[in-house]
Amino acid sequence: MELSITKNATCTFCGCVCDDIELHADGERIVETKRACILGEAWFKNHTAERLYPDALIDGQPATLDDAVEAAAEYLYNAHLPLVYGLSNVTCEAQREAVALAELIGGVVDSHTSL
Amino acid sequence: MGGKVTCTLGEVKNRADLIVYWGGNPAECHPRHFTKYTLTQKGKFVPKGRKDRTMILVDIRETPSAKAADIFLQVRPSKDFEVLTTLRALIKGQRVSAETVAETGLTLEQLQDFAERMKKARFGVLFFGMGLSMTRGKHMNSAALLSLAAELNAFTKFVAMPMRGHGNVTGGDVVMRWTTGYPFGVNLSRGYPRFNPGEFSTVDLLLRGDNDAALILGADPGATMPQPAIDHLARIPTIVLDPKVTHTSRLARVHITTAATGISAPGTVYRMDEIPLPLRPALKSPYPTDEDVVRRIYKAVAKKPAWFPGTK
Ligand code: SF4
Repeated sequence: MELSITKNATCTFCGCVCDDIELHADGERIVETKRACILGEAWFKNHTAERLYPDALIDGQPATLDDAVEAAAEYLYNAHLPLVYGLSNVTCEAQREAVALAELIGGVVDSHTSL
Repeated sequence: MGGKVTCTLGEVKNRADLIVYWGGNPAECHPRHFTKYTLTQKGKFVPKGRKDRTMILVDIRETPSAKAADIFLQVRPSKDFEVLTTLRALIKGQRVSAETVAETGLTLEQLQDFAERMKKARFGVLFFGMGLSMTRGKHMNSAALLSLAAELNAFTKFVAMPMRGHGNVTGGDVVMRWTTGYPFGVNLSRGYPRFNPGEFSTVDLLLRGDNDAALILGADPGATMPQPAIDHLARIPTIVLDPKVTHTSRLARVHITTAATGISAPGTVYRMDEIPLPLRPALKSPYPTDEDVVRRIYKAVAKKPAWFPGTK
């Protein structure tokens, strides 16, 4: 299979956020990470586009995304003080949605910074 | 942190002639920091690159980063605050007793030299890591270091910057600041944001058992938090969004697999100096992004009758 090349890719593994990485990918996995350090290389190669996990799990059993979204909404809606936590390995766009959700469900939103 | 005297890494690259790392090990934790931003690059006002710059490393242990440093100062554990306050006294020309300084593991001469170098620098920068901000003194240590940087501006240009950890933690602070006014630990249960670290920070909430549901995304607290906090997450309905089935997923009621940030999910991430950078994913994921899933949960909750503070 032909390799696709992504220039000036951004590594999010550490706070340096290097944005000069050249990635070579074969559609399913990244095979080369030019200019990335060893941590960055390991990070890029550790994630593939394969379907390794079920779309969702409910009580440990494979479930559809739709059912999982409904179940999540039900739990969060019924809680008195839900917590939305993490936000470190996600984009700013996802963080913004998470804050909006925390407001809707009347919860606490927090990140690694508080540790 | 209000009133922080700071700059971008581009300014460090082009201007800094004195670079101090305090309580951090960039050689192993931020491997390209030296070569991309701070030490070895040639900059506009430091044309000879490494030769034009001096690096000082302050830590309790001689880490691999010490090899890159011109001066390594080994502080006794938990004495960072004392060293910082001594430096603040020295730059103002106040008297400091050699015996008191000796308790920090350094000598008065070493600190006098350090203080002189900082005052004489054309552009100095203090990078500080978790070895300073997460050890005895915690935020008081960070505050002392930030004050030192601010006070040095009476003599020269000096800035400070935290060495932020992995992923987009910096973006989290920034996004929460512009959406709620506070950087982390924001309680929205009264319909407006309230901020009180120690009360509304996650570990404290979980240890007290205050939460009755949790949504975890972009983190794996099941692998990193104190055990009693993890136990509480296992007791309550926990929902995890992650590209992998994590430790936390295993104790959660619901896990949803998502695309990996920056690898198969596009978006924006903040660098440690609060510069937003776009992601260029190289792969197409069979899974939705975290952003999509959170938005779908939002829509599913929004369909239910609205609640108001005090009615639940
Ligand atoms: S390439 Fe290395 S230094 Fe750069 S962001 Fe990735 S892990 Fe950090």
